[in-house]
This record gives sequence, C-alpha cells and structure tokens, in this order.
Amino acid sequence: MIPDWIVTLLHTGVSVMVGTRDESLMPECTRAWGIHVAADRGTITILLAETFAGKTLDNLRANGMLAVTCTRPTDHLTCQLKGRVRNIKPVMSAERELSRRWHRDFSAELGACGVSSTLSEGWIVEPTVAIDITVTEVFDQTPGPGAGSKVSP
Amino acid sequence: MKKASFLIEDLWPCFQGMVPAALSTCASDGTPNITFISQVYYVDATHVAISFQFFNKTHRNVRENPLACAVVLDPRTLHAYRFHLRYDHSEATGPLFESMSLQLQAVASYSGMTEVFRLQAADVYEVLGVERLEGFTRLPIPPPSERSSRLFIDPNVVSLRLIAERLNQAQMLDEALQGALQMLDDFFGFHHAMILLADERNAKLQTIASHGYSDNGVGSEVGIGEGLIGMVARAQRTLYLSAMDHSLRYARAVRGRAEALGQTEAIEREIPLPGLPDAASQIAVPLVTRGRLVGVLAVESKDPLAFLPRENTLLSIIGLHLATTIDLLSRDQDEIPTDRVGQAPPSPESRTMSTRRFSFFQKDDCIFVDGNYLIRNVPAKILWRLLTQYRDEGRVEFTNRELRMDAWLGLPEYKDNLETRLILLRRRLEQKCPDVRLVQRGRGRFALEADATIELCEKEC
Repeated sequence: MIPDWIVTLLHTGVSVMVGTRDESLMPECTRAWGIHVAADRGTITILLAETFAGKTLDNLRANGMLAVTCTRPTDHLTCQLKGRVRNIKPVMSAERELSRRWHRDFSAELGACGVSSTLSEGWIVEPTVAIDITVTEVFDQTPGPGAGSKVSP
Repeated sequence: MKKASFLIEDLWPCFQGMVPAALSTCASDGTPNITFISQVYYVDATHVAISFQFFNKTHRNVRENPLACAVVLDPRTLHAYRFHLRYDHSEATGPLFESMSLQLQAVASYSGMTEVFRLQAADVYEVLGVERLEGFTRLPIPPPSERSSRLFIDPNVVSLRLIAERLNQAQMLDEALQGALQMLDDFFGFHHAMILLADERNAKLQTIASHGYSDNGVGSEVGIGEGLIGMVARAQRTLYLSAMDHSLRYARAVRGRAEALGQTEAIEREIPLPGLPDAASQIAVPLVTRGRLVGVLAVESKDPLAFLPRENTLLSIIGLHLATTIDLLSRDQDEIPTDRVGQAPPSPESRTMSTRRFSFFQKDDCIFVDGNYLIRNVPAKILWRLLTQYRDEGRVEFTNRELRMDAWLGLPEYKDNLETRLILLRRRLEQKCPDVRLVQRGRGRFALEADATIELCEKEC
C-alpha cells in the first residue's frame, strides 16, 4: 500500500524517472510522461514514449523489474517505488488525458521554480505505451540524512 | 533510436547543477534503483563525478555492479541526454573533492546546513557513451557556445594552481625545493630537473636540489655567465636549447674520459653538475624576485623538442613562485627555543658499527670522508663544528642560532644563507655518507644522527 502522502505527491505534477536494467545488468534510465496511482493503491501506471524509451521497454518486456522515482520541484519531496510490470498496453484516450493533465501540472511546478513555460511546453508529451506496475516497495527519498528509508510495505 | 556521439565538453550547460539529473543503477541481484542527483560534475573528456552525500543505495550498488545510467537536461532548452557510465573510483581528498565540497558548502551555508550537506566523496564514473533523447522536445538544439572554454580549465592551469598553492604553504626551504621538483615531474613529466641558488659574493650558482639523476650533484657549481645556466643567471631571461647539438655531450664525454684515465686530480674537488649523458634539450629559467637573482631552475630532456614556448611559459610562471618562496624561506628560518639541545648520543660501543673517517683540510676548508671529497667552505666548517661537538661533548641536537653566533664559521651578518648551506650539507651527506645524517627537528633546529663510529682528523694541507 502506498501511503497517503505519497499518493498525493504522485498526483501533483512530479518529475517521473524510470530505472530498468537488461540481462547484463546494464541500467537504463528514461523519463515518463505521467504517473497515476490506481484505487487499490498498490498499482501505478506510468506513460512512456517509444521514441526515446525503446531500451526501457525492451528491459520491461524481458524481465519486468523497475524502479520509479518522482520528485516535486517546488519542495523536493521525493519517493522511489520499486515493482514489477503487470501489463504493457497502448495508450488510449484516458491515458492521453492523464498525460495532458500531468504535463500542465508539471509545467506549473517548473514555472514556480523559474523555468520558462516555453521550455516545458516544448516537450513532445505524446506517450505511446502505458505500463501497469505492481508496487512492491516504497522509499522516502527526499534529500537529507533520512533519504532512502523504506516507508512501505 | 540512433545513438549519437557527443563531446561531453559540448554539454557543459548540463553540468551546472541547474536542473536535477537522474541516476539509475542495479544491485547484483538484478534489482534496479533510481535516484535524483543535484548535479553531474565534469571531470575530463571521458569522466564525470557524482557527489556522494545521501543516496547510499547507489553508492552500494555501483560497488557491486559498476554500471550506471544518468539522464541530464540542458537547462537552456530542456533537451535530455543519456549517459552510460561505469563507476571508476571514489575520491575523498584532492582537488576534485575539494572543489565539489566547497560548492556544496556554499549552497549549504545559505540554509544553515553545512553539516547535513557534507560531501562524503566524489564518485568518479567513466563515460561509456552519450546519446540525446530524440523526439523529446520541439525546441531546436542551441548552437555551440563559446562559454564552455571558460568553464573547463586547461589541465596545465590547474597544475600551476596546485604548484602555487603548495609553494605558498611550504614551511621549510628543503621541502619547497624537493616538492617543486617532484611536482614538475608529476604534473608536467619533467623527469630531470635541478635548482641552483645564486652565491652573489662568489659570482657562482650552486646546485641545492635535483630530481631524476643518479648522483644528486648537490654542491656542484656553475659560474655566472658560464654555459646555458650561467648565461641565464646573467641575463635573467629564460633560454632553451632544442635539439641540443653535441657540444654539451662532448664536454661531458671529456670529463668521463679524464675520469676513466685516472686524471682526476684536477676534478676531484669538484662535484659534477647533474646531467643526462644523452640529453637532447635543456631549458633554464632564472629565479628572480624584485629584480634580484635568487637562482636558476634547469630542466633537461631526452626529447629534442621537449621545450617549446608552452613549456617556457609554464616553467617561467613556476619560476616566479619558486623565486619568491626561496627568497622568503631562506631568510626566515629562525629557531624556536628548545630545551632539548645537548642530549647524549647512544653509546657507539654498544652496537657493532662501521667507522667513518672524516678529514678536515684547514688550507681550503675542505672535508673528505674515507678519502673521498665531501664538501668545502662554510658548509664544511659547519659540519666540522657539529662533528667535533658530537665527539667531545656528546651533543646531537643543534640550532641555527648557535651556528649564526659561531664566529669561526665566518657567516656574514646579513643574508647568511645558513638554511641553504645546511640543505647542501644534508644532501651531500645523503649522497656520500648516508650513515651520518642531519635531520630537521622543526624550524631552526636539527639533529646529527650517526649509524657509524665517527673518527675525526685535522690536516693542515
């Protein structure tokens, strides 16, 4: 179960980065165009663009293991979720709408940090794949001495 | 996605810590990990560094599996770049660590969290490859900017700064001289070098320190105006000989031949100047401070093109720092009072020791040890004074002050160069009689240590 404060955090325009690895344990890192926590609070969905996340998708199809970290630019509140892929599916209209909403919120966060909207609006936020993930571990990764402490399960 | 290759210098805006980056690693059991990092630091054309403060899982992972992947953003356009990395090593001291630490401290001091933000180490990663994330933004790639050249410091300039810092911090002349020669080797690959100090009264230069020669040559002399080094001293200008013709080697060969034929009488009381028998180039830099010649720094190489304008400039800058350091440390080595002067030596009879016979020739103030020339003039008189007190009174510790007050030594009242004379004496003993040593015991104090039984003999001529 993802704690309340992290569910709230994940729905407030966070920067979403995804870590995977291949069979030789070479890590891969990419950016996701949105995140959503399901009602069961044990599943999340992230949205990826195949144009620059091809290797990440290969890794997910091969071994299903991933780590996702999210941070809110205005206060650096940060978490890391680890888990396994449950489902990989093409993006439908609901996910496109989710992505647009995320992009608007994240741009507002960046704007509050002084980043020009021209820059964040220049991003090609057109995810093609939605990944459903069963979350197995949750960590508080807000910068500071306690960073990395496990909060769930 | 097409993988492009980038010069990481061209991605300089990504290394300014303006936008956080992400770093993913993988534990040996295959579990991925990902974390945000405040800054990726540029180290050189093939390495970056990441500060190790909090993210312990990353720190642990790369020690199990060194592979890592980072995504950084260009703050000008938010283009994204993916770095494939391999953890190389960690630095907890040194220039990279210091500069990263200072930067963190500067940020932390604004928030009153200097302890919390303390840098543990700089983790250095080799860059295996860099790719731009295509289809990420509609904005055009910004044109290359001239600014990067101001951000990435030429390694020579970094080395010059380190040398200047260490010379500036040196407390003892000996340490400064040997340290400077060692740094010339370490930072610039000048393997064979020496420092000569000016003896204004006798219009000579005397070798006080050398590096990279089998015989240290300390005590060897060059007349002002003689040869490259002497000419540099007179003109107070740097000179270098590239693709040196055979004349210098010829002179050295003559000396070698004379020695081989046993015609050593003329040269036996001369210490040969250090020199490579197969030197192909040489540079000499005057050590001048406030218009006064302090000495000469001379460097040799087997490479005929080792010294060109670049080396001339680098060595001239080092020469300026070295001159100031020598000037300061050779006139400011006054002793601190001590209550340990005059301790008895360990009883020589209690151990089986070899015997060293020192002979002092009164006519030219010259000392031989076991029949071989050791030293002459003031340093010889100093040694003789120390040895006789060691023999007669059992003294082992001495101070610069008592030597200054000893009229028999004939040190001038002003600019006595006592410290340089002691260094000279110390180095000659190291070369010719290593079982008798002068060991520094702090500023203006030293001890005579002997692993041999000492016999003394005075001769009139």
